[in-house]
Amino acid sequence: MSTVTEPVTTQLPPPRSEIGLVGWLRANLFSTWYNSALTVVVGALAAWALWYGLRWLFIDADFTVVSTLGGLLIIGQYNTDQACAGQNCFWRPQAALLLVTLLLGMSWGVAGEGLTRRIAIIVATVVALFAFLPYSLERMGWDVRLLLLANVPSLLLGWALARYTRLGTWRWVAILSVAAFLLTLVLLRGLPGVPGLQPVSVLYWGGLMLNLLLAVAGIVVSFPIGIALALGRRSRLPVVKLLCVVFIEVFRGVPLITLLFMSQVLVPLAFPENFPLNALLRAAIIITLFSAAYMAENIRGGLQALHPGQAEAARALGLPGWQTTLLISLPQAIRNVIPAIVGQFIALFKDTSLVYIIGMLDIVELSRKFATTYVENNMLPYLDDVQEVFIFLALVFWIFCFGMSHISGRIERHLGVGER
Amino acid sequence: MTTNGTTDPVEDIIVCRDVHKWYGNFHALRGVSTTVQKGEVVVIIGPSGSGKSTFIRTINRLEQHQRGDIIVDGIELTNDVRNIDAIRRDVGMVFQSFNLFPHLTVLRNITLAPTKVRHMPSHEAEGVAMELLERVGIPEQADKYPAQLSGGQQQRVAIARALAMQPNIMLFDEPTSALDPEMIKEVLEVMRELAESQMTILAVSHELGFAREVADRIVMFDEGQIVEDLPPDEFFNNPRHERVKHFLSQIL
Ligand SMILES: Nc1ncnc2c1ncn2[C@@H]1O[C@H](COP(=O)(O)OP(=O)(O)OP(=O)(O)O)[C@@H](O)[C@H]1O
Ligand SMILES: [Mg+2]
Repeated sequence: MSTVTEPVTTQLPPPRSEIGLVGWLRANLFSTWYNSALTVVVGALAAWALWYGLRWLFIDADFTVVSTLGGLLIIGQYNTDQACAGQNCFWRPQAALLLVTLLLGMSWGVAGEGLTRRIAIIVATVVALFAFLPYSLERMGWDVRLLLLANVPSLLLGWALARYTRLGTWRWVAILSVAAFLLTLVLLRGLPGVPGLQPVSVLYWGGLMLNLLLAVAGIVVSFPIGIALALGRRSRLPVVKLLCVVFIEVFRGVPLITLLFMSQVLVPLAFPENFPLNALLRAAIIITLFSAAYMAENIRGGLQALHPGQAEAARALGLPGWQTTLLISLPQAIRNVIPAIVGQFIALFKDTSLVYIIGMLDIVELSRKFATTYVENNMLPYLDDVQEVFIFLALVFWIFCFGMSHISGRIERHLGVGER
Repeated sequence: MTTNGTTDPVEDIIVCRDVHKWYGNFHALRGVSTTVQKGEVVVIIGPSGSGKSTFIRTINRLEQHQRGDIIVDGIELTNDVRNIDAIRRDVGMVFQSFNLFPHLTVLRNITLAPTKVRHMPSHEAEGVAMELLERVGIPEQADKYPAQLSGGQQQRVAIARALAMQPNIMLFDEPTSALDPEMIKEVLEVMRELAESQMTILAVSHELGFAREVADRIVMFDEGQIVEDLPPDEFFNNPRHERVKHFLSQIL
């Protein structure tokens, strides 16, 4: 290397004991005698736990319960005979999934390289791989498998639409996402009198599909409500301020479980009589408002941390108050509290499993209920309990939550949070 | 419109008559009366806490006065929101702490108000912004974010941002107090050029060299009142009040 031939400079390497693995170990784990003792004890405990944990996971555990539950985990009892008498309804959630991959493809097309592309490709690939699950054709027919595989062309179609048509902007992706969400609800709920779209009661919506629907609706709707509440709480109009404070404190002061219990009674009060309110809608409203109350406080924290000079400078330029809020205060406030906001989204996603309280079978409750039933009916005779399914559920939740926090980290870095 | 009678009404761009301001029980401005003419450069000095910032902030109503009249560019400052917005579009302000918008690029900081308030097409606003950046000497920084600039550069962007609204009056509140000595010079240079371009300027500043050179009048505040108001020569050479001498001896 060229450095060898250059004259010796004053730059010397650090002493050996401070670099490399040995240096790191000495500095961090074995710096004093009690530090060394602690390291040994903790290390032994960790090794012991790891040994038993891994042995159970790879040798003793039997994950057949997961594959026995199969599609139930994803869409609940949606395609059972009670839900969808005389018809095959499996294609409806699957069509909704195709819409998701289409939109992911469009996002990829708009964003180009980077995380969006990776997420889009991973999701479509994983979903398409489900087509190759080793089930008999009786349990999972060609039609199901083909629809799953169709997610790959759907992704590519979305990408092409974004690349080669006028739809390739974030504005269009946002508009179409809202449209797709509404279309999904119509698809799942069905339309009376339309062949192939026989209505399916929301009581049969379940599984991961239910968790995701509640989470997406909750996140998308609670965010703007939270912003409005945060601004309202800082309003100079006493009535607006009071209403917002009361709303926030009521929803933050009562556990979500209690609110869900009360939703039977409370939510209908806010609607005209005979308004068609089903359990799902009630749950969605409660979860959304609950999350909005926390969101409001997060955003208010962000607003309060802003230097007053920011708003003053905007006002001094002649920007009216609402533009100052919209263009100067809110973007900075939200950017500063992204970690708290994403934490709230993650909490909301996990909280969706509480809808078992009002009798809905989300992925957790469904697994618990059906796994127990199967054991009782000796459909899983070799098992005395079904703890494996909960390991699986933990993994599912972890993947989604970790995904959200990973994305938020990337957004933060993209926006240069903490740097500018 | 009424004026103090001795000057041409059209030329009186800022008129203050017996302005009072309280923060709670604290009497911050205690009857300030003064008139600034078009194109005049007025430098305000005075001890800390004497009400200098409060005074210039009442002129674009960042602070509300409770008694007396303030008339800016023919518009009386009242609670009428339309008046306030009209005046703010006409009066540019530069702060001690720059207050650039950290989430927007330098260019966007400058074009924001012209596009949103004056509804200028964005390509036109960008043209104006680039000209202004040229004028304050940092056109190459247009696409950076404020945090990537030095303090002096940030303050020059802040001046360009205020000028982009094509104000008739510029207010400066200690624009160089947060800067290192080398950067003070570059900001004062821009302000000097502005003063020569017939802009009406009201500046709180303790840069006495600058004041002596460009000011038409130096106004000294003490305890919420104007205690001296003289052209620089007289102000420095034979001030009428003991307090001025005392103050000058402290900061020189
Ligand atoms: N928002 C406020 N609330 C209460 N008191 C205030 C407020 N702003 C200023 N004051 C008080 O009003 C008086 C005048 O303040 P002002 O900021 O105008 O002083 P200044 O002359 O600009 O001083 P400095 O040279 O330190 O900037 C001070 O005593 C200050 O404590
Ligand atoms: Mg001040």
